[in-house]
Amino acid sequence: MGTLHVTQTGSFLQRHHFLLRRLHSLSGIVPIGVFLIVHLTTNASVVWGMVNSSKYDGLHGGAATFQHEVNFIHSLPFLILIEIFGLWLPIAFHSILGIYYATTGRSNLTRYPYQDNWRYSLQRISGYVGVLFIFYHVATLRWGWTFLIPGGTKWDGEFAASTMASALQGGTDGMTTAGLFVSLCYMIGVSLLVFHLANGLWTAAITWGLTVSDKAQRRWGLVCAGLGAGLMALAWSAVIGFATLDPAEAQLAEEHVNRGHGVEPAHVDSNVAMTTSGNEE
Amino acid sequence: MTSPTPVSQDSAKHELGAERSVYFRIKRCDGPGKATRWERFKVKVTRGEGANVLACLERIAANPVTADGAKTTPVVWDAGCLEEVCGACTMNVNGKVRQACSCLIDTCAPNDGDEVVLEPMQKFPIVRDLWVDRSRMFETLKRVKAWTPIDGLYATGPGPKETPERQQERYIYSTCMTCGCCLEACPQFQQEPDASKWDTSFVGANAIGQVQLFNEHPTAKELAPERLDAMTAAGGVSECGNAQNCVKVCPKEIPLTDAIAAVGRAATIHGIKRFFQGK
Repeated sequence: MGTLHVTQTGSFLQRHHFLLRRLHSLSGIVPIGVFLIVHLTTNASVVWGMVNSSKYDGLHGGAATFQHEVNFIHSLPFLILIEIFGLWLPIAFHSILGIYYATTGRSNLTRYPYQDNWRYSLQRISGYVGVLFIFYHVATLRWGWTFLIPGGTKWDGEFAASTMASALQGGTDGMTTAGLFVSLCYMIGVSLLVFHLANGLWTAAITWGLTVSDKAQRRWGLVCAGLGAGLMALAWSAVIGFATLDPAEAQLAEEHVNRGHGVEPAHVDSNVAMTTSGNEE
Repeated sequence: MTSPTPVSQDSAKHELGAERSVYFRIKRCDGPGKATRWERFKVKVTRGEGANVLACLERIAANPVTADGAKTTPVVWDAGCLEEVCGACTMNVNGKVRQACSCLIDTCAPNDGDEVVLEPMQKFPIVRDLWVDRSRMFETLKRVKAWTPIDGLYATGPGPKETPERQQERYIYSTCMTCGCCLEACPQFQQEPDASKWDTSFVGANAIGQVQLFNEHPTAKELAPERLDAMTAAGGVSECGNAQNCVKVCPKEIPLTDAIAAVGRAATIHGIKRFFQGK
């Protein structure tokens, strides 16, 4: 019976080989790639939002802008449906098929250490690590698996920047060793995902047949590299921004923004925001 | 009489006509499924004689004694044209795939005592020693219908007019000798001992190059939809992982990655058509 099941799975993949391959490629760009760009831009607002400090009575403009962005996202209608059909299902589809496809290859970098071949291998490695990173990211911050966060911070959408900062720093009293480890993992995870998107855009143009000649591929490669560099700058500034943000200072800015948006004062309570379930230092 | 500048023994060996020794470390195998082993041979070569790897293998065959003095069997290899147009002597020389005939000793092992490592191709079943069975590639060419359909019940007359420019564009793809270098270097192409799985395994760069050649040919393009059916099926062009090793190891410098992208484009259009036609 097990054998039969395997055969059926194999034949399904084989019968719809081309469609699945193309959907796999497409899903990496829309919606996942588009989401990553939006997500990194939003997260980096903890740094670029500092230009708004004067708008927020001299409070931390980055934390305030980020809170403003998060409030906007949380105000979107049918958010759970957007989440399921725009993010979770596409990411699951892209990851599962991607891992299956990656297992059909065998890296040969030692014999052929060409740059393109390096990117071939790195694309697969970044996929594997990216899946683990996204799982940790979603499990800890979205599903609230606080036991995986040093310091046990529970991320709170109404205190988006301050709780994010303490989740990365391992608590509210400055960077701890465990926090540094988590921050480094974020740095590596997010860098690999940015590479995965930029390189994926380059290979997708070949896959779909947009860039045919070597010259066109190199030209598009420059565009992808530029996009990757830009996204990398956003990603790094977001991680560094949250890892160095003072949670107390950020919370003042968040309370300010939330009052402006008419959020119930009862929710704007520091005790609720900073609930911790793990071990305290 | 002025004495000539003293010549060191080392630089003497760099002069044309100087005799020197080259070592060959060869991965050997007595037959399909048999264990592999390494043997080392010492071969005398003369600088400037133009000896290639195959000439050295002939010397080993004439005197099959290892560098340690142990008697062994002659090393077996495959060869045909000896001028890099048949692909029969394709093997791994110093870790990279190429034709042994065009590999000159003075280039790949320029110094006295240099070592050359020879291994059979890894992606094809070993027949013996450096000789592999590459017949899977022929089956793949049949799978992608790499021919011009001209047989019929009546004379179809002259073919369509063709510009020299278009001819020139295609010409490079026609120089493919099905040697298998592109497959050997490809991380997505694996050896498949089970011949019944060849129809759904990755065709590889050379076959995609041939699809491009025949789909661009004014008469052969009659079969383009069938070739694209093969290209959009399991094992088709979308198995390519864009490592682009193929184009770098191709001895004929065929723009294989251009062909992959062009066939990818044709497959996209073909796939969309088929999707909405419902096939």
